[in-house]
Amino acid sequence: MSRGKALIAMTLLTFIVLCVVGKTYNDKNGDTDGSKTGVTSDYVTATGATTNADGSIPLSQEGINQMANETGHLRISVNFVWLLMTGFLVLFMQVGFALLVTGLTRAKNAGHMMMMNLTSFAVALIAYFAVGFAFQFGGVAPVSALGGLGPLSKIFPTGNGGLIGLHGFFLQSGHSYDVGVIAMFLFQVVFMETAGYIIIGAIAERISFAAFLLAEVAMGAIIYPIYGNWVWGGGFLAKLGDSLSWGHGAVDFAGSGVVHATGGWAALALAVVLGPRIGKFNKDKSPNAFPGHNLGYVVVGTLVLVFGWMGFNPGSTFAGADLRIAVVAVNTLLAGCFGTVTAIAWTNAKWGKPDISMACNGMLAGLVAITAPCAFVAPWAACVIGLVAGLLVCYGVYFFDHVLHVDDPCGAISVHGVCGAWGVLAVGIFADGTYGATWNGVPGTVKGILYGDGGQLLAQIAHVVLGFAWAFGLTYIIFTIARRFMKIRVSEEAEIEGLDMPEFGALCYPDFQLVAHGAGHAPSAASSSSNDAPVSVQREGV
Amino acid sequence: MKLVTAIVKPHKLEDVKEALTALGLAGMTVSEVRGFGRQRGHTEVYRGAEYTIEFIPKVCIEVLVDDSDAHDTAQAMVVAARTGKIGDGKVWVTPVDELIRVRTGEIGADAL
Repeated sequence: MSRGKALIAMTLLTFIVLCVVGKTYNDKNGDTDGSKTGVTSDYVTATGATTNADGSIPLSQEGINQMANETGHLRISVNFVWLLMTGFLVLFMQVGFALLVTGLTRAKNAGHMMMMNLTSFAVALIAYFAVGFAFQFGGVAPVSALGGLGPLSKIFPTGNGGLIGLHGFFLQSGHSYDVGVIAMFLFQVVFMETAGYIIIGAIAERISFAAFLLAEVAMGAIIYPIYGNWVWGGGFLAKLGDSLSWGHGAVDFAGSGVVHATGGWAALALAVVLGPRIGKFNKDKSPNAFPGHNLGYVVVGTLVLVFGWMGFNPGSTFAGADLRIAVVAVNTLLAGCFGTVTAIAWTNAKWGKPDISMACNGMLAGLVAITAPCAFVAPWAACVIGLVAGLLVCYGVYFFDHVLHVDDPCGAISVHGVCGAWGVLAVGIFADGTYGATWNGVPGTVKGILYGDGGQLLAQIAHVVLGFAWAFGLTYIIFTIARRFMKIRVSEEAEIEGLDMPEFGALCYPDFQLVAHGAGHAPSAASSSSNDAPVSVQREGV
Repeated sequence: MKLVTAIVKPHKLEDVKEALTALGLAGMTVSEVRGFGRQRGHTEVYRGAEYTIEFIPKVCIEVLVDDSDAHDTAQAMVVAARTGKIGDGKVWVTPVDELIRVRTGEIGADAL
């Protein structure tokens, strides 16, 4: 028999066998459509509830109590699973940030960039575990979506002037070794990490590793958590509704201000203290371009961040049982896409071609801006917020480069600082009163000035102004002091050679030949005075 | 013996290779190079800052031929690489004093 005939015979035989099996065992008594799984009997076996003789639930107070108990447990369980799963999504955003900032910088520093992303995660997490979490959420109770979080009950001072939380140090103090508290920790620590990654974009290619570690400890222990307490932990900004009748107090759903603006303004302070990279600005202050070494990383990183944002914003309900999550998710996508399209159109109109990295920044700008208002606004408003953010990031990058002459290699200040502040204000403008009942303990829903509550906008302005003063001011103070005691910037030699080898003794791309005459990397005016011609990568071998 | 060297636009490499193969050439060496000629570089905008691409990517092709073939080889490369636009590159011929095949030790024209 030839091979072809054998193949046909095997196929026919298999076909016949399958038909016989199907006919012989034509049994549909399993739960084929799912309707028999998860019924009364499962409730009884899972809870050990007493039943009548026929297996039904008794119509008694005891029976009702059992059911109510189980329903409450189920509701909180759904919220726990939702909170943890969305927290894992936010954790994945670290990958996006690592690719984004590494791609936007030069190949000679790629190892340093990746190492900073890895280390920021570990170091800031430990700082947050030790004290940061307690400072931020030590007095946040009650949080009904997570079963109350009873142990987190101590804030100083009490009343409407809260400044700092005091339970939950090392996840031990104040009985905080507790499932609810620890679930909350997981979700909140990845948010803090986001603020920690943001600064990397602005300090890239020149900060010393030691100074970077100091920045991450400060971020995880003090800068982020204490400000976070004021808005999210029951602190005085959240209480502006009670104390001054300003709407619902500062409202920041998922952290345009608390996370992004804090990271962005801290990044600004660091970029100012560090100064620009060698060769970034000419003698007449005009900026030179240092093109990123891998725009593929930049695009992939941006898309990973979009995916992670599906945890960042919808997860901030803390509750899978809160069906507003659908609106939150779609608003987030709308703003991101409007931001991208705006940035593409703007760069095309201004410079004749759409700029790839600015298109990515535009998407992130939209996402950052919608983070505070995502739960409170209608889809049309999300589009407006994203569109404005796309414009803001384009002008922001131009402004910091050409006007303030601050060197921000990845646009972190414009994306996270400027658009974060815009997002906070947008709550006070566009919130349409469909969500946020009794937010921050104030009766009624959250409304912006377009829907009749001017006080809300005042609270948002307070959030923006104080957020800037705290994050920029404190970071600036810490690093102007630190500069006296440590080297916060690598040597000129190391900066020109690339930070990988001087700082860590290993190159990110050892098999590539580094050449000192890369396309477009050497700004001629700057490089003529010194041998600081930046380096590009060319494949070795012919 | 002569060394024929051509600097051409990278996307013309395939055309030049085919032209040389049609002439019956046994081998060639190709390298990625960067440089500028009379056209100089050109400027682009990256995140709002202008920058000059001073060295433009080109391909360098080197072929060793007998004296009698040098002219035809150079001509074939010129024809194959031409687009008529600025930046098409150059072809030149240089004399080769000595040539040795590494594997056999053959010398001169035998090593071609």
